[in-house]
Amino acid sequence: MAAGASARCLSVRGALRLPLRCRWAGVCEPERGCRFYSKSAALPKDEGTDVTGIEQVVIPKKKTWDKVAVLQALASTVNRDPTAVPYTFQDDPYLIPTSSVESRSFLLAKKSGENAAKFIINSHPKYFQKDIAEPHIPCLMPEYFEPQIEDVSEAALKERIKLKKVKAAVDMFDQLLQAGTAVSLETTNSLLDLLCYYGDQEPPADFYFQQTEKSEELEQTTEENNKRASVKAAHQAGVTWKARNNAERIFALMPEKTARSYCTMIRGMVKHRAYAQALDLYTELLNSRLRADVHTFNALIEARALMANEKFEEKWNGMLELLKHMSVQKVKPNLQTFNTLLKCLRRFHAFGRMPALQTLREMKAIGIEPSLATYHHIIQVFYQPGSSAKAPSLIIYDIVNELAGKAFSPKDLDDDMFFQSAMSVCSSLRDLELAYEVHGLLNTGDNRKFIGPDLRRNFYYSKFFGLLCLMEHIDVTLKWYKDLIPSVFFPHSQVLIGLLQALDVANRLEVIPQIWKDSKEYGHTYRSNLREEILMLMARDKHPAELQAAFADCAADIRSTYESQEARQTAPDWPATPLNCVAILLLRAGRTQEAWLVVAPTRDRAI
Amino acid sequence: MPSLSLPRVLGGRKLTFASSNFRIRNLTPSNQSQEAVTRVSPKDQHLAPGGAPLGGGRPASPATQGTPPRAIWSRPRCPPPARAAQWHVLGPARRKMAASVCALPLWPRVVPWSRELPGAWRALHTSAVCAKNRAARVRVGKGDKPVTYEEAHPPHYIAHRKGWLSLHTGNLDGEEHAAERTVEDFFLRKFMLGTFPGCLADQLVLKRRANQVEICALVLRQLPAHKFYFLVGYSETLLSHFYKCPVRLHLQTVPAKVVYKYI
Repeated sequence: MAAGASARCLSVRGALRLPLRCRWAGVCEPERGCRFYSKSAALPKDEGTDVTGIEQVVIPKKKTWDKVAVLQALASTVNRDPTAVPYTFQDDPYLIPTSSVESRSFLLAKKSGENAAKFIINSHPKYFQKDIAEPHIPCLMPEYFEPQIEDVSEAALKERIKLKKVKAAVDMFDQLLQAGTAVSLETTNSLLDLLCYYGDQEPPADFYFQQTEKSEELEQTTEENNKRASVKAAHQAGVTWKARNNAERIFALMPEKTARSYCTMIRGMVKHRAYAQALDLYTELLNSRLRADVHTFNALIEARALMANEKFEEKWNGMLELLKHMSVQKVKPNLQTFNTLLKCLRRFHAFGRMPALQTLREMKAIGIEPSLATYHHIIQVFYQPGSSAKAPSLIIYDIVNELAGKAFSPKDLDDDMFFQSAMSVCSSLRDLELAYEVHGLLNTGDNRKFIGPDLRRNFYYSKFFGLLCLMEHIDVTLKWYKDLIPSVFFPHSQVLIGLLQALDVANRLEVIPQIWKDSKEYGHTYRSNLREEILMLMARDKHPAELQAAFADCAADIRSTYESQEARQTAPDWPATPLNCVAILLLRAGRTQEAWLVVAPTRDRAI
Repeated sequence: MPSLSLPRVLGGRKLTFASSNFRIRNLTPSNQSQEAVTRVSPKDQHLAPGGAPLGGGRPASPATQGTPPRAIWSRPRCPPPARAAQWHVLGPARRKMAASVCALPLWPRVVPWSRELPGAWRALHTSAVCAKNRAARVRVGKGDKPVTYEEAHPPHYIAHRKGWLSLHTGNLDGEEHAAERTVEDFFLRKFMLGTFPGCLADQLVLKRRANQVEICALVLRQLPAHKFYFLVGYSETLLSHFYKCPVRLHLQTVPAKVVYKYI
């Protein structure tokens, strides 16, 4: 795409260059045009002769460029710098994070600084009113969070709805009803929207940090537990729809209910897990001869799938029935409809495969372009994490072949989960070529932004690098190591142990001291399994002299980490195997004194 | 010519003896003429230029005409504006002294010391004050004062050994709003000084590029890194909202102030 853009640039520039080359401004003679475009520098014979094959000068249509087209073209020439950190960090050795924990804490600190500044700006808006920006930049002006209108009126109610003050809006509505003023339908509908969206609770005050809290729970779990934990977390963190809450009360009070009111209520109920009530309300809607919109149908499909105490076939038939209703009411399905279908089919385990393919065919038949989330759900349907009994399906190859070379734009909230699931499938299938293809897809166009937040990016690259260590030639693996670590992700100790085992297999143990030095930078200084692995690999065989000396230095360094760890904690006992390895390595390098200190320490310590 | 001595030292001012500014005259009735003697009568001792010379002019009073000749200071006639300028420039001390002199116009002031030796007194010359330049200079000490490169070089080294601390196009020909940039600079420096307490190792460098402001600060490692990030996020947001343009902060940390030399 960038090459096309630059080619077009050149041709436009070429067309523009003609007037500059002519001596006189105005239309150039065709000979000059021929001379410019022809490869040879020879002049035409005569000015007057009619050169055969002369072309009419066609003035191309004026092209309109995007405002940032030049910047985009320039940006496409620059690749990622593997030695740099992401630009959100300050470029200074003291301020560059050395582990994923640190990088998260720095980004959180920066964000909380921004929140503190916003708090100050919004508490003292009068100092930030002077507007010298031309054109006006609305996001740099202070915001008003308190309602300004104090009297009991519909305008005050509208203001509170706009500021998302749930309780204040409900109070104002009640006051208006007590005072006898009728509230307009539009305002009541928007009040219902607010209540259904937030489930009759105040909007969370710290919604910036909600996502990160959820991912903290997920951090220590493996991928299989990820899904269960995320579902559990959603259940715990979400709000449940209480019966007879304000939304239902106001809904009942409304003199006339439009389709919009019904739809809002249904969607609110489904969001807050009141599925049976949602379906009942839907039948009421049908009885009132009203039509639901596509978003409501999406919510109803989800409600149908998540209702308990039903078998898979019944649920699937229910969903199909809803789709038939949709076609009867002439409501066109959109991408979300199919994605919701596929997401719900995930829960049906093996039963869901055939319906999933049917859904995909239907989607193509209607002409809706699938997004990355669609493929993510299909992968989840076909590659259930628990089931490994049968031969794994080969649909991933079809998917990757279809997606090759495509650049995507964000259309669904779940688009950023595709690469994680695709790479985990590649890893379980142990297929390196497929992994390369998936990685190539990631680097196509702007797809890099679909890698997701930190946790998912770490997961993706851990799986990718683990696969490389297993299957790829060691030199290529080391090149990827230099490229990916630490600029893209900070490796877990497991990843590093995998790399060490790959080095062992390829008999390149001389790289081990370098790996140890790097892992100290990534925060793994006190990681016992890593240290034991390194020591065991070094101590296993005898090596030539200079390598032995390097190993001895490394062993002495590891020993010092044991000692400093002991100084920080009170009296742990040293494990025997690493000590043995350290002693052996020091002896082999001829450092007998230090080896003696290791074996017979001066402090009393039980070995 | 008899020498003249002054009764008091005119603190800090350069004194030279018997320069051409002052001529000693012996007044006799016969020599008295408009050109030779300049006098200031008591009424017009405070006259502005255009009138008789003021200030150091020592009036010769007609009342003393008949007495034996006295050493009287007189001043050659100078172009009035210069004299007036001198009057204003020389400062209150001199004015006070001159005023006190003029308060007793009949008596020549230098008389007390010369009473012992009538007719023998020296002239002291005081010139204009030339104060030493103190702008942006660290005064030389005993050799134990560490200074950075920035502090060690006085401002006449800008564009020779130093660069500029604030870079903007406001001072180019045809460009406007240089004063606003300067006021903004001042605010930004104060703001950063307060937000990073005790952490700034050197003066800030402020760069303006397109509509952005880039603040480049050299900081000491006083705070843990996450606190630095908090302050960076805070200042960037606050200053962006204040100036309605993107403000970016670039920090570089050093372990201690970078000393160029000890003076």
